[in-house]
Amino acid sequence: MNFDTLEDIGHKERSRQSKYQRRIFCCTSTACLSAGAGQVHTSLDQAVAACKCDKHEAEVVKTGCMGLCSEGPLVRVEEKESDPILYGNVSPDLTQNIVSRHVPMGGIEGETDNEEQDHSVTPHDIPYNRASLRQAQAKTELDKFIIPLNLPFFTKQVKVVLSETGRINPDKLEDYLAHGGYRALAHVLEEMTPEDVCNEILESGLRGRGGAGFPTGLKWNFVRQESADNKFVIVNGDEGDPGAYMDRTVMEDDPHRVLEGMIICAYAVGASYGYLYIRGEYPMAIDRIRKAIRAATRRKILGNSVLGTNFRFKADVRIGAGAFVCGEETALIHSVEGKRGMPRIRPPYPSTSGLWKAPTVINNVETMANVPSIINRGANWYASIGTEKSKGTKVFALAGHLRNTGLIEVPMGITLREIVYDIGGGIPDGRAFKAAQTGGPSGGCIPEEYLDTPVDYESLTKLGSIMGSGGLVIIDDSTNMPDFANFFMDFCVDESCGKCIPCRVGTVQIRKLLEKLIAGQADTEDLEKLDELCQLVKTTSLCGLGQSAPNPVFSTLKYFRNEYDTLVQPSQAVEAGGS
Amino acid sequence: MVELIIDGQKVLTHPGATVLEAALANNIDIPRLCHHPELSISGGCRLCIVNVDGYPNPTPSCGLTCEDGMSIETQNAELFQTRREILDLFISEHPLDCVTCDKSGDCLLQKYAYDFGISKTSHEFEISKPLYQDDNPFFIRDHQYCILCGRCVRVCDEVVGASAIDFAGRGFECHIATPFDGPMKDSTCVFCGNCVQVCPTAALMPVSRIGNGREWELERVKTICGYCGVGCQIEYALNNGEIIYAQSKPDAPVNGEFLCAKGRYGWDFATNPDRLSSPMLRRDLAFELGLTSESWELPDKSPLKIRNPKIEDSFIPVDWDTALDFVAESLANTVKEHGPDSVMGLSSARCTNEDNYIFQKFLRLGIGTNNLDHCARL
Amino acid sequence: MTIPKPAPKEGEVHPSGDDRYLSIDRTMKRFNYEKDSLLEVLNAAQEVFGYLSGDLLIYISNQLNVPMSQVYGVATFYHMFTFEPQGEHNCIICKGTACHVKGADRLIQALSEEFNVDAGETTPDGLFSLTIARCLGSCGLAPVIVLDGQVYGKETPEAVHTRVIEAVSRSKEELAHTMEVG
Repeated sequence: MNFDTLEDIGHKERSRQSKYQRRIFCCTSTACLSAGAGQVHTSLDQAVAACKCDKHEAEVVKTGCMGLCSEGPLVRVEEKESDPILYGNVSPDLTQNIVSRHVPMGGIEGETDNEEQDHSVTPHDIPYNRASLRQAQAKTELDKFIIPLNLPFFTKQVKVVLSETGRINPDKLEDYLAHGGYRALAHVLEEMTPEDVCNEILESGLRGRGGAGFPTGLKWNFVRQESADNKFVIVNGDEGDPGAYMDRTVMEDDPHRVLEGMIICAYAVGASYGYLYIRGEYPMAIDRIRKAIRAATRRKILGNSVLGTNFRFKADVRIGAGAFVCGEETALIHSVEGKRGMPRIRPPYPSTSGLWKAPTVINNVETMANVPSIINRGANWYASIGTEKSKGTKVFALAGHLRNTGLIEVPMGITLREIVYDIGGGIPDGRAFKAAQTGGPSGGCIPEEYLDTPVDYESLTKLGSIMGSGGLVIIDDSTNMPDFANFFMDFCVDESCGKCIPCRVGTVQIRKLLEKLIAGQADTEDLEKLDELCQLVKTTSLCGLGQSAPNPVFSTLKYFRNEYDTLVQPSQAVEAGGS
Repeated sequence: MVELIIDGQKVLTHPGATVLEAALANNIDIPRLCHHPELSISGGCRLCIVNVDGYPNPTPSCGLTCEDGMSIETQNAELFQTRREILDLFISEHPLDCVTCDKSGDCLLQKYAYDFGISKTSHEFEISKPLYQDDNPFFIRDHQYCILCGRCVRVCDEVVGASAIDFAGRGFECHIATPFDGPMKDSTCVFCGNCVQVCPTAALMPVSRIGNGREWELERVKTICGYCGVGCQIEYALNNGEIIYAQSKPDAPVNGEFLCAKGRYGWDFATNPDRLSSPMLRRDLAFELGLTSESWELPDKSPLKIRNPKIEDSFIPVDWDTALDFVAESLANTVKEHGPDSVMGLSSARCTNEDNYIFQKFLRLGIGTNNLDHCARL
Repeated sequence: MTIPKPAPKEGEVHPSGDDRYLSIDRTMKRFNYEKDSLLEVLNAAQEVFGYLSGDLLIYISNQLNVPMSQVYGVATFYHMFTFEPQGEHNCIICKGTACHVKGADRLIQALSEEFNVDAGETTPDGLFSLTIARCLGSCGLAPVIVLDGQVYGKETPEAVHTRVIEAVSRSKEELAHTMEVG
């Protein structure tokens, strides 16, 4: 099978989709599912079926995240010659209103207004009858559920990684193909050498989106230049930061994009096998990626002859089992090898000696998902987005004390203020902004005075935080900062692997000091000790987990020192010695 | 050869050597707890950190491969302070029972605490693994002293191949465990004691050592193990003439530090009161020879059925000449009466090669038979 | 190279008498009984059996030829593996950042005090388990709990307390009824 055949399939799917007068998209991403999107989707199906209209009047499409998760479940109606309309907080009942407003009712011979339940509809909790659909038509309260699509929440975003999320059915390869999927892979295989690909990615300025920000093209080049019988590509889907679900969304809602990036990477570095390491807490992502691999294999996008060429590449899923530390590259490798996920000292780096001692590229899901767009639209295009050193876009999971929370993708360089107030809609309940926390347990807090900081790798690091994987939590003035720092330290204590003494014991001792402080039993000496111990853990820990564990403490000490000081009892020595 | 500079000194080393190896080979000592020359690298103790020109942070030297032109600094005031703070963390969960601890004098943690002048922790003391396991006659596992260097796991896995223990749990609760934290005998442990040998603290201690003398009071005797043909070197530690424990040193030619269960724990025969100190002749034969006036009858008419626990009830000591004469005469008579093949010789791995050689020569040429076997075939 | 053992055929009964082992065998066969597949096999075992018993771990150790100490070490490293059966009712409380700032600790405290269990523990009568998840990814609904597979968002300590009490009481009633009848 070569790309022409696939392109054909995409074309046919586009034709098929264009036949519909309207398509009703229902988000079935994990967040909306927890809000009841499963039932909403079923209701939509049934309501449309009950309309008994012409087949091409309406199609209900199961799709992924539309971004504004705080207003989920979300349903979007796209009608020909009309602007799309987004409905939020959709309940199964409300689907009747939506369907009756948009979908014309086909007639049934002999039908009266007092019709009984339509038995051609599949059995469900909510009995659909056409009478109630007609009644719903009359109700106008539907308007208050409409979310304007010209809100800054939507208009300030730039979609690259999330281009197809919320637009395609993630279970259908045809849909991905209809949106130009695997075109980049075909182009790479036909027109580019591995070196060309690495350089294209290098020129685009793409940096690792897992948090470290290492230039992706450089990493690929290192592995490409290694001579070895075997090389591997690993996609790091062990998104362990609490509050981060960017990678999960991309894997669930656009799995083929991740695969395409991975295959292009494999070609570029010379790998013939790859693994997607997905954390065990993401069963739907695991399922969708597996489905995507099966579909891609059937269509010869994976296998011994990718798109009919000499290039061989196969991929498989490996499941994590609840260890944040497995997001660290060497720990991840040990986990794939069936061992305890304990990191090892580096060098050697995975690019020289990785999985089963072979040269290995490990890239985050979001990093991989950027690759098809870069190939399709060119490195220059990608480099035109963002700042001088941080190119492209970043997906953030915006959460916390904010009006609008959910998944956003913004160009690097956008300010925090724009994210908090324009996109996020500001702080609700009359409270005031206190800080923006980035980078999860490895990051720090950014206070109000730095709200105009552009979001890019260097600026955030300079402020004492990190870009991280994309968790962005906004906290208001009801949050106590030492407690907030302790929350993250508690997390690190729980997740420490135990191999090196600074992290294993150091984090426990830091937590003890923080708890002592919060309980009002610490003195100024304890505060000094806290700082020293954090320094020790940061400089001497074996891996990134320990090295970045003290960051929340440093950051809150730096910007919210007064909150620590008010908790401190004057030390005995000072008291005894006088002022 | 790779050339680098360590502490201002030019050092030449083979390609692939680590900075720690190169330093130690050139008499530059770097503190280390988890490193062991025979085992793979861990890098967890963080004590061997050194400053490398061009690297932002101190780097562990145990895993750092030497490169041409590298410039290393193994000690300065800052590194001293950092190492001291790391030791502070170690002793924040390790009881300083040095006064009564039997490992005192041989304990690496104690040594470094002394070297870095740290006698008590500045942190809140909390033992992470308060587990004490005394479930076999050979060694005790006292987890409160364990510093999780992992040497025991690595030696069991890489040198012995038994893989009886591994890390279990995670973080502060991480500890070294047999399957299900069960007794040692329910694991694949072969009780070779090599884990005890490489343990730097009192976490693993031979049972026989507890309360039996301080390290510096014990007398050391080097000898060769008599159990098999390998001939490992053993160093016994004695207290008032009594063997307390056996170990070996890294410079031992055949075995280095490693011994097997027999060599390490099978020495109680040496001071067992039942041990023979002279040849013994069975009482009835001695009576026939006129060496004793008491007559004695062989119970059950079979020499194989002497089960009397007190050996002096069935045998009397004789001198070597008497014994050898008796054996020579009896063997000669047996061969004369029943032919050479009525005699069989069974030798032992505990004898030296030379002894075995003479033994088989004696049987083949002296007695005239090929009926010869060795305990290794059993 | 380990010689792959044949996968059980349809309708075949597992020698242990427990057919759930057939599922484990299939997983091991899929990975060619390679030692590297230990984590995958443990994941499958946790899913099929609900927890990893001693016998199950020994079985896996033997089949994959991985030393038992290492199987135990791997199983105890990953927090998704449990070694005891879960309670009849399981309440997972999300302790992600968003849920924390919205008071997840109070939810945990409410249940912990009522049932006298800490996170990760099950009540002695086996009716209720309290679990912590580090992030369920439904931050818009913070604080989030999952009770018996059902997600509840924007929870309060009172609401979660009532919900769990009701669920456990129902089970207690059913149990009492069965015992009466039986």
